[in-house]
Amino acid sequence: MIKIEKRNDVPMALYFFTPFIAIILTILGGGIIFYILGFNPIEALKFYFITPISNLYGFSELLLKATPLCLIAIGLSFCFKSNNWNIGAEGQLTFGAIVGGGVALLFYNQEGFYILPLVIIAGAIGGMIFALIPAILKTYFNTNEILVSLMLVYVSKLLLDYLVVGPWSNPEGFNFPETRQFSDSSRMPLLFEGLRIHAGIFLALAAVMLSWFVLYKTYLGFQIKVSGLSLKTAKYAGFKGKTMILVVFMISGACAGLAGVGEITGPIGQLHRMISPDYGFTAIIVAFLGRLNPFGIIFASLVVALTYLGAETAQIFLQIPKYTGQVFQGMILFFLLASDYLLFFKVKILNLKKNELRH
Amino acid sequence: MATDLRISNISKIYPGCIANDNVSLQFKSGKIYALLGENGAGKSTLVKILSGVVSPDNGEVFLNEKNLKLSSPLDAKKNKIGMVFQHFNLFETLSVFENLSIDATEDNESLRVRVNEILKKYNFSIDLDVPVLNLSAGQKQKVEIIRCLLRSPKVLIMDEPTSVLTEQETEELFISLKKFCDEGILIIYITHKLKEVLSLCDEVAVMRKGKVVSVSQTQNERVETLANKMVGQKLAKIKKKINISKNKDEIFKVKHLNFYSDDPFETNLVNLNFSVKKGECLGIAGISGNGQNELFQILSGEIITPDTSIIFRNKEIAKLNPKQRREYLMAFSPEDRISQAAVPELKIYENVALNNFKSSNFFEKGLVNEKKIKEHSKKILSDFSVNTDNVELKSQFLSGGNLQKLILGRELITAPELLICYNPTWGLDVGAINYIHETLIKINDQEKSTILISTDTEELLKLSDRIAVIYKGKLSKIMPSEEVTPEKLGVLMGGGSID
Repeated sequence: MIKIEKRNDVPMALYFFTPFIAIILTILGGGIIFYILGFNPIEALKFYFITPISNLYGFSELLLKATPLCLIAIGLSFCFKSNNWNIGAEGQLTFGAIVGGGVALLFYNQEGFYILPLVIIAGAIGGMIFALIPAILKTYFNTNEILVSLMLVYVSKLLLDYLVVGPWSNPEGFNFPETRQFSDSSRMPLLFEGLRIHAGIFLALAAVMLSWFVLYKTYLGFQIKVSGLSLKTAKYAGFKGKTMILVVFMISGACAGLAGVGEITGPIGQLHRMISPDYGFTAIIVAFLGRLNPFGIIFASLVVALTYLGAETAQIFLQIPKYTGQVFQGMILFFLLASDYLLFFKVKILNLKKNELRH
Repeated sequence: MATDLRISNISKIYPGCIANDNVSLQFKSGKIYALLGENGAGKSTLVKILSGVVSPDNGEVFLNEKNLKLSSPLDAKKNKIGMVFQHFNLFETLSVFENLSIDATEDNESLRVRVNEILKKYNFSIDLDVPVLNLSAGQKQKVEIIRCLLRSPKVLIMDEPTSVLTEQETEELFISLKKFCDEGILIIYITHKLKEVLSLCDEVAVMRKGKVVSVSQTQNERVETLANKMVGQKLAKIKKKINISKNKDEIFKVKHLNFYSDDPFETNLVNLNFSVKKGECLGIAGISGNGQNELFQILSGEIITPDTSIIFRNKEIAKLNPKQRREYLMAFSPEDRISQAAVPELKIYENVALNNFKSSNFFEKGLVNEKKIKEHSKKILSDFSVNTDNVELKSQFLSGGNLQKLILGRELITAPELLICYNPTWGLDVGAINYIHETLIKINDQEKSTILISTDTEELLKLSDRIAVIYKGKLSKIMPSEEVTPEKLGVLMGGGSID
């Protein structure tokens, strides 16, 4: 008979080490999949994990993809730490991009240093407003934030669809589903000539520092921590539960909105249907792989960004669909959850006594 | 065929408490047996042993002279021991019939025939195809009973079955139980309600502190005699001198406290009115589950009820949350010290910061002032003789007694005018209990007031100046404690009335 028991004390060091185990297992699992598909696993994994970052351009692409993942995951960590399950960061990203993009389009034929900050702030506010919907419904109408935030993703995506084919479509665009190009004043400055990496990375790094400060050094962070561990205690201590739910959703939405605005003012330069390859959903994996710790999230966003790049390289060199990236992301989450289970619980195999076998 | 269930020398020891101490009992079919006792008397442990949930350390169970090995609930089922727990084990979203068919061994058609037979025989009116969540508590209990009856049980154990039922449903249940009994099913009825024992049962075994203290025929018993056995002859009172004079100010006054909940496992409170004087300890006695939880949360501000008036130091505070009430110098020590009063994963100093009163300056301008919190925590640890001086220790590593000292210390360091505590010594060892009791007495000596909600009658008699009993959400008359005897308390706690 197998018995599963909770472990009483889990060492902190091991808690931060298991994500590495999950990553190693994911690479092994990927090798097995490649082998089954008929590729040389070592070579395929090299294409997947090493080739993409073997030159400067590749490295810049890695940082480019890690930037939105890191930003969104930082925001999500506020929600997840306080037991609020915001699954709709993708929607908040999209809505932030719509609002920020709308402002950028207003200034499409103008120049000025003030335009980019306006666009960025508008994007953050857009994400914040969109995240407030599930938060208000949760606090005042007792709805489930998982369902509401998830369903709102589709609302914002369809709204974006409508805007780019309808009212906001480029008048000179031959009916392609896209808006005008933003003016240069609405674009993130590039950091290096010839590379796509842009100033948005500083937003992500600022978010990391700020979130570390808020989570570990402020009363708000303390309340978030206590509510995440025990809602009963938070109530007993007299924390304003409703206000806190609204605040963490607003922080989370603002970060997702910033990520959205970073994409459209960075590499994309306009609005169209495909502004995010599901960064908002993938960032959930990033948040947990980084243990909801600001610095852990930096590391996790780099690892997960690599699966995006690897998938693209694999598509070019191995002719396999780039959706293998999602397979790898899924495996990371799966192995992380599995190793967490073994971290928090121990499995005991009990010997059956003879008299028990007789029944 | 007659059934004979014999429990022989059962013992079960948990760390720090003897739940069953050499318990021997004998039951024969054709009678309804009551198992009576206060909270923590050992009834539940005994029932869990009979139903295979817990294995005893010592002793044996015999059914018709066959020695039973009950190592899982499945073994109990196989041996025809049926059990209806206080909390139902039903899938709310499945239909009644689906719930019944889950662990059935026959096909659905013959199961339906048998279920319908049972419904008809016992006059149960339940629609088999509606989801369980649409049923009343009484109907859900019937589904549980049907589930037992389908296995033609020899023994049926009912664990406090009337705690969620209405009067009408209780009556129906008693009629059914008498029918089962006539058909030769042995019924063991666990309760702490004295009147039910007298009206339903034939024989009653009383447990106290893990031991069987008496077995008798109910016809020879009265509410008073049973109460006496249940509560026991308590130790002589070591009450501090009654220090309350009649003309002292009322510091805390509750008027029209009502609470209504849709949740059948919560207790509604009906029009509670009471007041506490300066330097006084008001004790509120009662068997757990009679509304103490709800009362504590309303007094602490975790639940805000409309139309209630709570006056504290001449200010209306009924709409304030716990943090705001603390600013008016109230303090709270809840029953669940492990996961409510403190968070086990947090360090000691972080748990101290939970009582963030204004003058503490724990959080200046929204920032954590770790140094201040740690200094303050060190003071609590030494002032309240907690067995460590390491404020970085996670509170899960503190023993129950030390954790309770830390919590009381945290609450008392603000020198509150009123402390409300709920079962402050629950599960603690004698040394810690004495320390906590001395602390509570000291508070009163300093002219501060306490409200002590407790299920421990001994503690109440020792500490209170006046005592009231809460039963089914209603508060009895408030009595000066020198007029209160354990027997009176027992009668009131069991739902009886005294003149």
